Amino acid sequence: MTEIIELGRKVVDRLRKSYDDVAVAMRVRDRVMVKLWNTEPSVTQSWLTTSVALLLTKARKVLTLEFSVGRPEEVLEAIEKISSVVERVEESELYAPLPEPQEVKLVEGSFDTKVINAMKDPSVLTKLMVDAALSEGAERVAGTLTLSSDERVLITSKGFEGSEKKTLVEAYLRAFKNEFSGHWAYGSTHVRDEEIKEVGKKAGMYASITSNKVDLQPGKYDVVLSPLVVGNLMNYVSFMSSALAVLVGYSMFMKFKPGDRVASEKLTLIDAPRDPTLPNVASFDDEGVPTYNKPIIEKGVFRNLLHNSGTATKLGVKSTGNAGWIMPSPWNLHMEPGDLREEELISELRNGVVITNNWYTRLQNYVEGVFSTVARDATLLVKEGEIVGNVGRVRIATSFPELLNSIEGLTRQTYDITWWEVQTPIRAPYVLARNINLTKPYI
Amino acid sequence: MSFSEELLTRLIDEGSSAGASYVEVRYQNDYGILVSMRNGKVLGVGSFKEEGVGIRVLVNGSLGFAATNDLSREGLSKALENAISRARSVAQLRKNPIQFTEEKVGRASYEVVPKIKLEDVSIEGLMSLGKEVFRVLTESVSQVKLPVCVFSAETHVQEKLIITSDGAYVRSRVPRMYVSANLVLFHPQKGTLQRMKEFGSSGGGELLDMWRPVDVLVDEAKKLEVVLVNGVEPPKEPVDVVVGSEIVGLLVHESAGHPMEADRILGREAAQAGESYVKQEMIGRFRVGNELATVIEDPTIPGSNGFYLYDDEGVPARPRYLYKEGMINEALHNRHTANIFGVKSNAAARAMNYASEPIIRMSNTYLKPGTMSFDELIEDISAGVFIKSYMEWNIDDIRWNQRYVGLEAYVIRGGELAEPVRNPALEITTQGFYSNIVATDKELKFYPGTCGKGEPSQGIPVWFGGPNVRISKIRLGVTV
Repeated sequence: MTEIIELGRKVVDRLRKSYDDVAVAMRVRDRVMVKLWNTEPSVTQSWLTTSVALLLTKARKVLTLEFSVGRPEEVLEAIEKISSVVERVEESELYAPLPEPQEVKLVEGSFDTKVINAMKDPSVLTKLMVDAALSEGAERVAGTLTLSSDERVLITSKGFEGSEKKTLVEAYLRAFKNEFSGHWAYGSTHVRDEEIKEVGKKAGMYASITSNKVDLQPGKYDVVLSPLVVGNLMNYVSFMSSALAVLVGYSMFMKFKPGDRVASEKLTLIDAPRDPTLPNVASFDDEGVPTYNKPIIEKGVFRNLLHNSGTATKLGVKSTGNAGWIMPSPWNLHMEPGDLREEELISELRNGVVITNNWYTRLQNYVEGVFSTVARDATLLVKEGEIVGNVGRVRIATSFPELLNSIEGLTRQTYDITWWEVQTPIRAPYVLARNINLTKPYI
Repeated sequence: MSFSEELLTRLIDEGSSAGASYVEVRYQNDYGILVSMRNGKVLGVGSFKEEGVGIRVLVNGSLGFAATNDLSREGLSKALENAISRARSVAQLRKNPIQFTEEKVGRASYEVVPKIKLEDVSIEGLMSLGKEVFRVLTESVSQVKLPVCVFSAETHVQEKLIITSDGAYVRSRVPRMYVSANLVLFHPQKGTLQRMKEFGSSGGGELLDMWRPVDVLVDEAKKLEVVLVNGVEPPKEPVDVVVGSEIVGLLVHESAGHPMEADRILGREAAQAGESYVKQEMIGRFRVGNELATVIEDPTIPGSNGFYLYDDEGVPARPRYLYKEGMINEALHNRHTANIFGVKSNAAARAMNYASEPIIRMSNTYLKPGTMSFDELIEDISAGVFIKSYMEWNIDDIRWNQRYVGLEAYVIRGGELAEPVRNPALEITTQGFYSNIVATDKELKFYPGTCGKGEPSQGIPVWFGGPNVRISKIRLGVTV
């Protein structure tokens, strides 16, 4: 860490005379990933990388540079080469001076030595996850286990200097039984055997939950969405809450302002950078602004767009500590739980469809929030409070405003989810929503 | 290329001595610039450079991959050690050893030489293009407003050197350009309409002249204005549908290219992008469409976005016929899946950057065009819909059930295009589409895309394309 801080200082010192503002963000990563295929490892991947990103501003012009290079000197060489570029760039619409340093209280407890130890032989945790799925009746599994240590440094010409260190674990498994499958995921800064086992267990349970295939006619249905589905869809909602997404036309929040009702009062969605157990924990953002937890939507009311200094200045508000130099982004998400018990979900749904996983969410129009997404794995038809079979790969085709306003209940229990389709980590419950449009092909 | 070739060669020897039956070392350097603008004003200008080495080894039948951007001798040796030791540690969990096919690997060097070097594409020129796009587009619409016009342009050079323990030595340099625009059209009573338009190819600065992005975007904006203001709901009864080449291209990418990736067929991507409706035993035996359904995958198309002559395992590239006259014909292979299928690799292994393992990817995928004109394609349609472009699309994880929601679309009446249609949703199975092709026209057009696959996810530049395609009696949906 000392070496990289020295490099950062050297870069800032070298550049501060030529530019109004300089920020250098560096990340050192040691990561291992075991990828499973038909219950066997298909590949074990390892990364040892250093990335360096630079923000340079001069006369309201903004230039960003990203390097993934091994020799620190190369960063300085590369900067020399592009130094003339900033002269030719026009003023940025999103320019704001870097903020003056504020006191940052570091988030404690995001480093787990168990993760470091597990990285030496990732087969142990892998086996734990796989065996849990097989014990639930799964015939084969696929998935990944990723373990990582991550060091981050930010130094700015305004005098901010910060560094932090964390560990990461991301595990997800898809279990198969005959033509059916189940999927579960877990993402955290900490590794606990029980959580890893649960990934396998829930995936295996959903693969085995029914052996009956049933038909579903397109139409409106009451639905239960698992934390994986909720996580995927809330990733889109939180992306759209970035002020830049609003400015560039990729947001349903173009049509709303803070204080507007956008969802059922059951929905509270929080940007939670200071949760030490979720993977994107951060004490300060890429401009050195201290992070804080804040609601995006609170009891159905739109509360906050996410800002960096540039978008905040443009829209006349304060930064929310979500920089990204160009794009403000959510860190981690919390979705407030409700009062339903997980075991009551099916009876509470009574008639409808339980969607346990989804993928390929795409929008026809971000401003209107019109989208569809495809169900995968266990998608269960429920009649009179009983699961009668799996309906296969149907599609949710609706809009975010409709969906968010249709939320009627949430479970008490939440799950920490990160996986391929949920890149912004979330702690989410199951959600019960009424009258949602489901489609499938006619031929 | 700022690295020691000798060190890379030494890694091959070190890996082999340490017990690896196969060692592959890939130096890769990706660099370029990016300009982003909103409504004619600069949001930011960026420069990127990703340089490093990716190493793959086969140890005791287990595959290990390690990447590092520390190109010192120590850094590279540490990465090799990680690849070998971690592959060895999980080898006990494998029942069947991974084996690669023996191939006539390349010893070659190739380069895409642009007419105008990317180094000569000026930031001022790109900014001025972004301003021009916004100015001209704003003037071109009269009934709607254009609240958002985001323009971005990127140059990207990709340099690779691939060396393997079985003799491959392939050096390549491919420059690419990419331009995109996101438009939001607004009408106080009719709401909004959004269009994302992309341009992308291998080559240099000359592509901007070829693409004529201002003209193309103005033409689209004028047509989309009419769709927003005057568009009607699609017909409720089944009608003949003419699917525009932009959608056909995406559709063959999604429903022919992806399901014919052999790693997907075998389940390697099962927990990520999914599996395939295609099983190994269906190759050469299963009919997915009629005789008009021929889908070709060809990395060797000059100027294409997915261009390469050797894949990242050193195997020479060639065209592949995925579907041939309706029959499932040839899967996309790397040296691992080819070994399982008992065939030779057809050179589909690609890696996004040095930090990514090479996996089976598409390059340029297209439906074989026919011989008739567009007018001939629609002349005997009494009632139908032509869907020219799209925004929303998706497909299930076995590549069977898919949906494309039209953006620019028109009613066809009496063999001619009539009033515009808003948001027609074509929701169809793979076999449903390829079996119901009535005719294809002769206008083969390609469109750029960035295809995502793998874990960590890798975005790879591709082209997809086709002619305009007429399919019979389809019931269209409509978005909410």
